[in-house]
Amino acid sequence: METLQVYKKKEFMHQSMLNLFQYQNQSELNRFQCQKTLIMFKNHIKIAWRSLKRQPFFAFLNTFGLAIGMAGGLLISLYIYDEMNFDTMFKDADRIYRINADIKFGGTESKSAQVSAPMAAAMESDFSQVELTTRFRNLGGMLLRKSNTEANIKEEGATFVDATFFEMFGLDLLVGDMQTALKEPNTLVLTRTAALKHFGLKKAIGQSLVLNNTDTYTVTGVIEDMPERSFLRNHNVFMAMAGNEDAQKQEWTSHNFFTFIKLIPGADIADFQTPLQSMLGTYIMPYVQTFLPGATEEQLEASGNYLYYGTIALKDIHLYSAKDHELSPNSSIQNVYILSFIGLFLILLASVNFMNLSTAQSLKRAKEVGIRKTLGSDKPALIRQFLTESGLISFISLLFSLGIAVVAIPYFNALSGKSISIPFTEPVFWMALFIGATVLALFSGMYPAFFMSRFAPVKVLKGAGATSTGGGNIRSLLVVFQFAISVFLIVSTLVVFMQLKFIQSKDLGFTKDQVLIVDDVYTLGEKATAFKEQVEQLGQVQSATLSSFLPTPSVRSNTSFFKEGGATAENSINMQIWNVDDNYIPTLNMEILEGRNFDRQFGTDSTAMLINESAVAILGVQAKEALGMRIIRNFENGSSNNFTIIGVIKNFNYESLRENIGAVSMTLGRSTGSLAVKLEAGNFSNSISSIEGIWNKVAPGQPFSYRFMEDSFNTTYEAEQQLGRIFVTFTILSILIACLGLFGLAAFNAQKRTKEIGIRKVLGASIGQITYRLTTDFLKMVGVAIIVSLPVGWYLMNKWLEDFTYRIEISWWVFAFAALIALTIAVLTVSYQSIKAAIVNPVKSLRT
Amino acid sequence: MIQIQNLNKSFRTEEVETLALNNVNLKVQEGEFVAIMGPSGCGKSTLLNIIGMLDNPTSGSYQFAGHEVGHLKENQRTQLRKGNLGFVFQSFNLIDELTVFENVELPLIYLKMNKNERKQKVMAVLERMKIAHREKHFPQQLSGGQQQRVAISRAVVTNPKLILADEPTGNLDSKNGIEVMNLLTELNQEGTTIVMVTHSDRDSHYAHRIVNLFDGQIATESHNRAMGALM
Ligand SMILES: Nc1ncnc2c1ncn2[C@@H]1O[C@H](COP(=O)(O)OP(=O)(O)O)[C@@H](O)[C@H]1O
Ligand SMILES: [Mg+2]
Repeated sequence: METLQVYKKKEFMHQSMLNLFQYQNQSELNRFQCQKTLIMFKNHIKIAWRSLKRQPFFAFLNTFGLAIGMAGGLLISLYIYDEMNFDTMFKDADRIYRINADIKFGGTESKSAQVSAPMAAAMESDFSQVELTTRFRNLGGMLLRKSNTEANIKEEGATFVDATFFEMFGLDLLVGDMQTALKEPNTLVLTRTAALKHFGLKKAIGQSLVLNNTDTYTVTGVIEDMPERSFLRNHNVFMAMAGNEDAQKQEWTSHNFFTFIKLIPGADIADFQTPLQSMLGTYIMPYVQTFLPGATEEQLEASGNYLYYGTIALKDIHLYSAKDHELSPNSSIQNVYILSFIGLFLILLASVNFMNLSTAQSLKRAKEVGIRKTLGSDKPALIRQFLTESGLISFISLLFSLGIAVVAIPYFNALSGKSISIPFTEPVFWMALFIGATVLALFSGMYPAFFMSRFAPVKVLKGAGATSTGGGNIRSLLVVFQFAISVFLIVSTLVVFMQLKFIQSKDLGFTKDQVLIVDDVYTLGEKATAFKEQVEQLGQVQSATLSSFLPTPSVRSNTSFFKEGGATAENSINMQIWNVDDNYIPTLNMEILEGRNFDRQFGTDSTAMLINESAVAILGVQAKEALGMRIIRNFENGSSNNFTIIGVIKNFNYESLRENIGAVSMTLGRSTGSLAVKLEAGNFSNSISSIEGIWNKVAPGQPFSYRFMEDSFNTTYEAEQQLGRIFVTFTILSILIACLGLFGLAAFNAQKRTKEIGIRKVLGASIGQITYRLTTDFLKMVGVAIIVSLPVGWYLMNKWLEDFTYRIEISWWVFAFAALIALTIAVLTVSYQSIKAAIVNPVKSLRT
Repeated sequence: MIQIQNLNKSFRTEEVETLALNNVNLKVQEGEFVAIMGPSGCGKSTLLNIIGMLDNPTSGSYQFAGHEVGHLKENQRTQLRKGNLGFVFQSFNLIDELTVFENVELPLIYLKMNKNERKQKVMAVLERMKIAHREKHFPQQLSGGQQQRVAISRAVVTNPKLILADEPTGNLDSKNGIEVMNLLTELNQEGTTIVMVTHSDRDSHYAHRIVNLFDGQIATESHNRAMGALM
């Protein structure tokens, strides 16, 4: 208050003494100049506002285009920020790494995010730079019930975890003691959500829970829900690793444990690679020798096998890790790049619009500039004036774009599978917006400002007939640029969708349609078979098969077998080993190329085996020759199983179409994870309720959960579908922006050529001729854009398709179609203005 | 050639109705040179535009070479205009982006004449108008007098029966103005009918007949015997 008063008094004195003393000292001079600048700035804004109001049509096109671009850019920026900041919230995230293993053994390659159980303890004891280790053994979904009740509740995201979990990630328990919480076998920690679901926050501690109707656990802690932006999102049940049998075993070649290490402060992960790899010699080879006597590292290498350990920083997992099975589905940096480019394109498009429309209007402004210059305004002053205008437009657009973003964000979230919100309360966000809008204003305003301030007064004031103000070439170039981007996006969209369509319709080697999968059938225990038999009796059911192993995402099990003739590295075959029943092949409509399916008639089929073509290839024989061959599986305790190959299955895609088809073997065995039911075409909901009725009779109180194989299959391509949807959305936006620009430019062009059109009409040109003439000028630009963008689109989309082993070829008509779309849109956009200009009576245009 | 009877033209703009031509009657014989005079805003240009079939009358009859044309559709008028009528304006109305040659060539293009023939005709008329050495120049590079000569070249390149000139000397100095008037007179002597709007008494003396418009009505008509005798 006081300072303000003093200031005002000083200000008053300053003003009154101004004439007498001029400037007393430097600081007052500065203040005066500051004030002057402020007044000038206000003046600039006032004039800017007026010139916007004078040209409402162009001002609208400008702001609307810019607002759309900004809103798109804003949403994409938020998306990218979200993607780039996964797992950063964990304490010491900088020092945490996950151990990976790239393995080739027995003809099968895998890129594993998991390593063997004993790795963690060995690393911690052998290497001084390892401060702490934590392992996860992921279980996925499981059934939970309070020990005194019958009804189960399905809980997603259950995992065994070492007791070091809390210390590793710097997590605190809401209730319970961190030091003891997961020390004892059969203890578990629930997240807040899970605890509330079953008991309530405080009451949870000490309660008993029965998991999958078998093991009883005691709740020893409640923890905050795992952050959305972390690799542990959707994990709700953390069980003590102490109770997991496999975790205690010294099985060095079973890679089933996600293993995290924390390095001591100052340690460099690069120095850790050599010691890590040395574990192959210290631990793995001696273990391998117990079942492959005399095996050496050199031998292993010579036979084309390998085991490479690697590390990935915790913060990099989300964007850079694409291993066979991850704790949570990851994204990829490629998507971030693609989106960044699209975002940048959008803003660039909008900005180009701005430049185009502004310079286009220069015709109207030329006179103003000429007069201002004659009256003594210098070039910098004019540039400031024009930049103020672009600033004003930029900030008005920013406001609009925030409105658009608020409306669009639910759709965007649905599109991108995120739950992003606009951080209105963050000062940094506003700072970023302010800076962004200013930079955009300068960037878009600079060219028009220099362009217009250059007009020489003599030229523009010479008569009213100054129609040509130049800049036409640059404007054409900018239109070409805009349409090139649009055409590129159209091509990309088409290719992504065609690949998706290809995936949908590809012959997978099995039929996924009309197959209902009932999950958690194992909870029925002995009654699983009865359940299956009763379901088979239903009229709507063609057949049903019990197995945990499905050709859509499901349980996988990989094992080493040997050909007859000794347990050597050369004889080893690594295959999927799936336990199925005799209905499996017909239910999923798989094809037997040679031999036969399992048959209950044959008593010997308990040792029979079906293999797929990839497995036959590893055996190095023809399909026919494989029949009757013997396959041996050795167990740790020295015992072994012999299998006889009775049939060869045509290869089927059980992993995503990005992958090659690996070797699969099937044996008869009881595996009751799920029941796959082939339904008759018709009313599925009736069939489902009939099956549910049987379920409820067989297993009262157990939750009935089902899904269609088709949907399950589609989840594998979630990323591609998302990409497809994102492409469509932003392609439409970019076309919209480009059209706004073209529309404005066409309007301007018609306006600029009013006189010319009038003259031509007086001289005998018809409306059709004029329209054609005005339209083709623009179509030429679009044509150039098409020619420029097609090779780029071809190259980049082929790169994208390289990710898929099974992919489409991009045919010429994709380009033709994209070109046609672009041309049609351009014609529709431009012809309105062209026709409008062509039908004007020349008497009006030529009136003097 | 031209027969106008009880012709009216009104403009409606934002609730105001202007009666630009009020019951005009006018005959122009083939080969005549008629000047239309009158104060600014009295309807001269409006009348000329209707005669030139650029606009339709609101009511009344306009016969051109014996055909009623007052109610024709735009496309029909365009067809009739092509090759029959030539226009000369006060502000020249050349297309800035086209060269002298291309400007003069335009009407021939719309007549779908082939390229050789076009070139021949354009060069002939440019030579006649003594502007052929500027064929590759753009209008902005020429003086006013030269621009108007190009405009006249363009008007006559199709050998029209009728030339309509709206204050053709309005933007010219007297030396250039006289030159333009001499050109028009020459064309008239070769048989082209000319209807010219002018403010200038000097120019009006080149015409056979002067029609005075006042407030959209023909006030007086006078024959220029002195001039006619002189020629
Ligand atoms: N297209 C038009 N719309 C409205 N009023 C017009 C139009 N053309 C001419 N007028 C009006 O008609 C009257 C005659 O105009 P004009 O024929 O141009 O006069 P001048 O004799 O000066 O050539 C004027 O009052 C003018 O304002
Ligand atoms: Mg006039």
